[in-house]
Amino acid sequence: MKGMLAVLLALTLVLSAGCGNATEQPADSVGNGAESREADLSDQRYALLMSHMTNAFTMEMSGAVKAKADELGVQLTIFDGEHDVAKQISQAETAITQGYAGIMVEPVSVDGIKPAVTAAKAAGIPIITVNQRITDQELADAYVGANPVEGGELEMRTAAEDMGGKGKVAFLLGPMGSDGQIGRTKGYYNILGQYGDIEVVYEQTANWKTDEALKLVENWLQTGADLSAIVANNDGMAMGALKAVEDARLQDKIKIYGLDATPDALAAVKEGRLAATISQSTTEQGMLGMETIFKIANGEEVPAEIIVHHTLIDKDNVGEYIK
Amino acid sequence: MRRNSREVGAVEQAKSLQSSRFMREFGILFVFAGVLGALMLLSPGAFARPANLMNIIKQASVNGILAMGMMFVIISGGIDLSVGSIVALTGVVAASFAHPGEYPFLVPVVLALGLGALIGLLNGVGVAYGNIPPFIVTLGMMTIVRGLALIVSKGSPVFGVTAAFENIAGAFVLEVVPLLVVYFLVVTGASAFLLNKTVFGRRVYAVGGNEVSARFSGIDVQRIRLAVYTISGLLAGLAGLVLASRTVSGNPTAGQSYELDAIAAVIIGGVSMSGGSGKWYGTVIGALLIAVIGNGLDILNVSSHYQLVIKGAIIIFAVLLDMKGKRK
Repeated sequence: MKGMLAVLLALTLVLSAGCGNATEQPADSVGNGAESREADLSDQRYALLMSHMTNAFTMEMSGAVKAKADELGVQLTIFDGEHDVAKQISQAETAITQGYAGIMVEPVSVDGIKPAVTAAKAAGIPIITVNQRITDQELADAYVGANPVEGGELEMRTAAEDMGGKGKVAFLLGPMGSDGQIGRTKGYYNILGQYGDIEVVYEQTANWKTDEALKLVENWLQTGADLSAIVANNDGMAMGALKAVEDARLQDKIKIYGLDATPDALAAVKEGRLAATISQSTTEQGMLGMETIFKIANGEEVPAEIIVHHTLIDKDNVGEYIK
Repeated sequence: MRRNSREVGAVEQAKSLQSSRFMREFGILFVFAGVLGALMLLSPGAFARPANLMNIIKQASVNGILAMGMMFVIISGGIDLSVGSIVALTGVVAASFAHPGEYPFLVPVVLALGLGALIGLLNGVGVAYGNIPPFIVTLGMMTIVRGLALIVSKGSPVFGVTAAFENIAGAFVLEVVPLLVVYFLVVTGASAFLLNKTVFGRRVYAVGGNEVSARFSGIDVQRIRLAVYTISGLLAGLAGLVLASRTVSGNPTAGQSYELDAIAAVIIGGVSMSGGSGKWYGTVIGALLIAVIGNGLDILNVSSHYQLVIKGAIIIFAVLLDMKGKRK
């Protein structure tokens, strides 16, 4: 016993020294104020309220906003809502009392964020929503983002055409009730209305997660369902589906579609494993969001809705997107 | 007359003791058999196929590995809430060191296992030497380690791993048994041996059963505590490694609520939350039962919302059965 413990201890100590490099990498590439030489603008502080900071999409989005803020020479603070609408509201309140020049919200909830928007308006601070519309969108000064229904339609239309307009399909959905899940899935059904011979045999949430999607698709494949396509609300789940299908050696029968254009999905499209992914032009959304709030705060007129369009990425054009 | 009734009472008591022990040891087997039977009836074509049975064991493996570690901790009278976060951190670290052409194959493997064991050891230090309640130490660690996973991965999944890394979980033995299952079997075998055939195992039971008398009988309670949390952390590191291999990526958000599934497997298997008792095979059945329910309900196309309700109900039912057995 003593010996075993000693060995374990020694092992873990040595290892802890070894992996220090991995854990000490600075991750804080965003946040803090931008430094600018233009004194008047560098006093302007903007707040970006993100729903969370735990996936490729939110990191790309906040990175783009930050890049634009640097370009404009203004300060930016990024708040992480950690999926909690109450937290996001208090962060908005902080930004309001701190006298920020403008607030961008990527909302945790399409309904819950309303009090924050109302409070900002009452304090005379411009506020816009990015990526997701909120229920009372007219309360905010502008919306900058994509239309998830359009993204879903583009994804499903691509799948339906590849299927030759008939066959069985399964849907992997995001967390039920999230804006992306609702909008994209609505887009799927809009297209299915035009294709009477496509049957939806499975439709289940995997909460945006690769491991949940993997397990779910493994189980679906056990039923021997003769699927032609799996259409996922995001790329993370599409990658899980891809693994399950490849493990079952069914990749020649079942095509898989994702949305988000994450780097691993783009690589899989390039290798011809993933049929297609859809880009919601995240960087463009972030850049335009920052630009729009900057314009409003400095007295310029902007349209109430600035829509960034989705693009289909398949093996023909994937080369343009791989960085 | 009086003596007679007393004798009858004693006999009855002995009988009920026997049946209660039977219920405690094997009650969960009836639940398991019942669920299996129901699913076979409901979905004869898909559920009962040998390929699907192997699939179920495969899907039980990650949770089963975590549950084995959790079992040591719970038998010793503790709890480990940090394992889900450890899965995420070790998965992310392993994937980061598994890019093609960068480090030898063994580097991510050793890092994942070592890092898991190290975090477990720190949990153990907090519990054994800091005298902080295990719930609090491991709750804090759960949050810290989740943060580290996000920091190391910069908030996004880590992908682009070598084929060898993918094979850690993905390869097959004799073309039918996934390596994932082999790890589960090996971990189970080693845990069963440690728990039943070694002095260490008996001491884990003793510490969980009655800490004071364990101390008086000369057991180094602190060292046992240190060891069980280290084992749990080590196995969480293994789970993180194989999950990263299985999903061909390290996800900082992976493993959320995995600690709850591991605890559920242990409890369903009849291990007492207050420590000191429980059997390894109960935990195996617990892990299998959770996987069977998930698999069966997916196959029957039951919405995941209902699946949560059903899973929760079965956990409570299993524990109720267990407590009833003990009260008699």
